[in-house]
Amino acid sequence: MSATMEKGVRVLKEVIDSRIASYFSSCVHCGICADACLFYTETGDPKYTPINKLEPLCRVYEQEYTLLGKLGKLIGWSKAVTDAELAEWQELVYNSCTLCGRCSVVCPVGNDIVYMVRKLREGMSASGNAPDGLKGAVTRTVTIGSPMGIKLPAVKAQIKHVEADYGLKVPLDMEGADYLVMLSSMEIINFPEYLGAIGKIMHSVGKTWTLSSEAFEATNAGMQIGNSDLARVIVSRIVEAAEKLKAKTVISPECGHAYTALRWEGANLIGRPFTFKVQHIIEVLGEFQAQGLLKTEGMETDKLTFHDPCQLARRGGVIKQQRVLMNMVAKNFVEMPDAGFMNWCCGGGGGASAIEEGEELRLKAFAVKIRQFDAVKPDRLVTACANCRIVLEEGLEHYEMKLPVIGLTELVAEHLPEPK
Amino acid sequence: MAINNDKEFKGALACMNPSQLRLAAAGFVDSVLPLSTDERIVAAVKVARQEKASETELEMQLRSVKAAALASYTQCGKLCDWNSQAGHFVAKAAVRCVEPLTDGGAQSVWEGAMDARMARTCEVIATGEGTENNEAQVQYRIVESLLNS
Repeated sequence: MSATMEKGVRVLKEVIDSRIASYFSSCVHCGICADACLFYTETGDPKYTPINKLEPLCRVYEQEYTLLGKLGKLIGWSKAVTDAELAEWQELVYNSCTLCGRCSVVCPVGNDIVYMVRKLREGMSASGNAPDGLKGAVTRTVTIGSPMGIKLPAVKAQIKHVEADYGLKVPLDMEGADYLVMLSSMEIINFPEYLGAIGKIMHSVGKTWTLSSEAFEATNAGMQIGNSDLARVIVSRIVEAAEKLKAKTVISPECGHAYTALRWEGANLIGRPFTFKVQHIIEVLGEFQAQGLLKTEGMETDKLTFHDPCQLARRGGVIKQQRVLMNMVAKNFVEMPDAGFMNWCCGGGGGASAIEEGEELRLKAFAVKIRQFDAVKPDRLVTACANCRIVLEEGLEHYEMKLPVIGLTELVAEHLPEPK
Repeated sequence: MAINNDKEFKGALACMNPSQLRLAAAGFVDSVLPLSTDERIVAAVKVARQEKASETELEMQLRSVKAAALASYTQCGKLCDWNSQAGHFVAKAAVRCVEPLTDGGAQSVWEGAMDARMARTCEVIATGEGTENNEAQVQYRIVESLLNS
């Protein structure tokens, strides 16, 4: 057994906590999770059944923590997990799992399969069996501070562009602002209009906001690859910046795992409560609307539908706000089948879109999205995640479906009354 | 007519007829064309400049440059090459010069201008020197010359 493999198995033993133990011991092998997973439904291959993806972790659990498993290991019935097996499992644990959480919510005994996959990823990562695409992102996060290699001068250049484009000031390192806005690398690189939209909206509702030069991006590669230490470092950087700037609320960007890491796991990762609130931008916009601060004018008249990002809707419970916002600006907003809590993933979450070797499978799984779109035949598709947006565009191109994809924050900003 | 800022620039775009707008959009792409190596963009600009380009021709070019824009995205988790990203924004700007001009078309052409400026911003980031570029002034001159011709 190689040193990294030994480390990986040790990590797998360590990550098996009471939750994992109770999940494995209560699994009734019903297979319902299979029909919840887009990689199974679109390929029909039983290896993509979510609970099957956990086989190496299950074996370690049984061999280390159950009497029968220990006996089986002793007399050779049950074989130890090998390096080759973990390498083979990479496709199941990373390429074909977006951590979308559909399997977790259909499990009749309440097993959080996503939680288990993430724990297995910790062992995979420690044994060197994470995909190269994610390893590269992690290395850049450690060395540069950003998974996509974004440095402060690039952000400053984008700020300058947005200021010129929108004719507004983008505050940097402003102390005591109402909101500290975090970005994802994707927004900095591909969607500068998101930053412009935030500026317009904050100006319109009369709130102060700022970016931080010390922590401008929230993308959490640690969460995706399965490295809690790294996830903690990324969250700590944001916490330090927010506390230094005395921000009241930190706005998570339109990036699923940035939101989950910061909003739902951040305080546990750093081991203490935050001194500020964390909200997704859609929650913030929903709050502005509920408080009567967000005023819009005019309506889109073509048929629009909304793709719910998994981490926001299913894992984060934010479902109502985006619908209220859509109805504020769209006359003909239609819902796809399974929209909201049970929406189907775009297929690129949880780091999957960074894994080149998973592209063919990802595009095959996208057929489920095509069926959703076909059911309502929208003119445009709206979403609230920069990664979903690109994965959706790629899938639509592959299936030759003409359906422009736009961001909800930008759409809302387009409907703000012109400043007097 | 002289254009000195974006307000005047937007106002000038609003005064242009559809064929002038398409030429302006093509001009914005032309100006940043060296930042891309994609031949599909050159072809799209060529068609956009033809006064008698048919809807079918424009539609074909639109598909082609949309594919170019999609292929040049930096995907989540990948290392950003700002030079390639400049090419992506050139492709995005090229989409504006061959797409149907709805609602007058000025807004779409304005967005094309912004994409072209973003391409230049990416170039500046790639060189790692400063944050300045004068693409806006170049675009003002393009629109002035179209309006004065």
